[in-house]
Amino acid sequence: MSHVTAPMGGKIIDVKVKPGDSVAEGDEVVILEAMKMELPVVAEASGTVKEVKCKKGDAVEADAVLVVIE
Amino acid sequence: MDIEEKIKELERRNLEAELGGGEERIAQQHARGKMTARERIDYLLDKGSFQEIDKFVVHRCHDFGMDNKKIPGDGVVTGYGNIHGRLAFLFSQDFTVFGGSLSGPFGEKVCKIMDLALKNGAPIIGLNDSGGARIQEGVVSLGSYGEIFKRNVWASGVVPQISVIMGPCAGGAVYSPALTDFTIMVKQTSNMFITGPQVIKSVTSEAVTPEELGGAMTHNSKSGVAHFAEDSDQAALDRVKELLSYLPQNWREKPPLVQCTDDPWRVEKSLNKAVPANPKVPYDMKVIIKSVLDQNRFFEIQKHYAKNMVVGLGRLNGQVVGIVANQPRFLAGCLDINASMKCARFVRMCDCFNIPLVTFVDVPGFLPGVNQEYGGIIKHGAKIIYAYCEATVPKISVITRKAYGGAYDVMSSKHHGGDINYAYPSAEIAVMGPEGAVDIIFRKEISEAEDPAATRERLIEEYRNNFASPFRAAELGYIDQIIFPENTRPRLIQALTMLQGKRDAIPTRRHGNIPL
Repeated sequence: MSHVTAPMGGKIIDVKVKPGDSVAEGDEVVILEAMKMELPVVAEASGTVKEVKCKKGDAVEADAVLVVIE
Repeated sequence: MDIEEKIKELERRNLEAELGGGEERIAQQHARGKMTARERIDYLLDKGSFQEIDKFVVHRCHDFGMDNKKIPGDGVVTGYGNIHGRLAFLFSQDFTVFGGSLSGPFGEKVCKIMDLALKNGAPIIGLNDSGGARIQEGVVSLGSYGEIFKRNVWASGVVPQISVIMGPCAGGAVYSPALTDFTIMVKQTSNMFITGPQVIKSVTSEAVTPEELGGAMTHNSKSGVAHFAEDSDQAALDRVKELLSYLPQNWREKPPLVQCTDDPWRVEKSLNKAVPANPKVPYDMKVIIKSVLDQNRFFEIQKHYAKNMVVGLGRLNGQVVGIVANQPRFLAGCLDINASMKCARFVRMCDCFNIPLVTFVDVPGFLPGVNQEYGGIIKHGAKIIYAYCEATVPKISVITRKAYGGAYDVMSSKHHGGDINYAYPSAEIAVMGPEGAVDIIFRKEISEAEDPAATRERLIEEYRNNFASPFRAAELGYIDQIIFPENTRPRLIQALTMLQGKRDAIPTRRHGNIPL
């Protein structure tokens, strides 16, 4: 099981997956806005999305778990 | 014994020494996917060039019944040879002999080739595969390690020192690689740690495998102790050869020049679109780097660590250059503690070995956060300043987009000894981003305006056009030239060629006091 975490604190501006989606390593799962940039956050490993723990507009801290992949 | 018999005796002894700990142990080494000490030397050095030294040295230990167990070579193969025709000194630890453990004589052998390397100005390559100190030797093994470490320090910045970790490397033994310029690790079969999993378990109850604790990827991504993670012994040794091809033999020489077959005037139209028009959209800085280098070849170093900072070697018009760059794709290209250390160490290594520095800048600032502050980002960020200001090699920079605040200063700016400072038309060189600046300067106006939001937007747009551009800096002479991105390669080469004869010095002192 792998956790996709926020690389830095910021605001979620787009969530690109939902539970049940299959993802490959390197796929963008969330877009995070931080330091005035729109940063793609990618899946570290392939698998199926088990849980999406954030939604558009959320403010998140660094290392917050955003998506759980099985 | 007549002469023929004596020669036969020498041949017999040679073969015996070459077997190390014996066929069975050699088979065990192979079964683990590892080459033997001598196979590694054969693979690394040019055919027939290896001259072994101290093949018959044995240990002198009288305790614990060691008198009866003497193996010629005593666990390490040392000597010199050529790599692509260039002299190098090396030691290759032999895991089949007493587990590659270090004794007094083992240490003396290593010190001997290090001393030779220093006197003759050639690189030192260490192939590490050892259980550590030979317990039976007692304190003698510690003394031996100490003598090796001292020589690592004496050699630092004099000749390139490369450590290849090809097996265990634990306890005190790790300090030698830690002191060298580059550490290459083999995945799965090598590890480095000060205290191993068993001791950690008994003291802190933390459970961790050797690979998790100190394997190749741990040190390449978490600790930043290592620079390369390779899939096999052969790949690791190939990396040594590749690395050496960019380095001089010693600090008095320039790196080797090669014939350039890639047009130095090559214009790269794609670069005009490399930086997205929307400043919020990241891009891969490595695309720009590769497009300007000879043959588009970029030898990246520490690619798994502090990915927001890219460092590596390449060539421009046949000449070796050290590349430093912010990477907008990670952490928005911000500077943080790890990126600062990665950058400063690389810059200083380039300065040691006459490698000119080319820095690509797109940095919005330092990473905000309590962890960064408690972790000492203040002194780590200062390391970048120290490294660039101290360096006397040619220093060229290209600001591709953002260069805000202190981060503008630290990234090889004119003020820190930059020789030639370029900027793209897309550059935004300012004390801070438009939103932040406007909120401070026009706080009163905005709050008293009829439509604060619209006023704020207008002021931000004005600030962006007037200040977040390269022109203010160019008017001040902080930027020497604003260039068309497609011409980056010819501009860099022209600057480098102009700077070929550069000689510079900083005030004399015993040595500076870099924040550590």
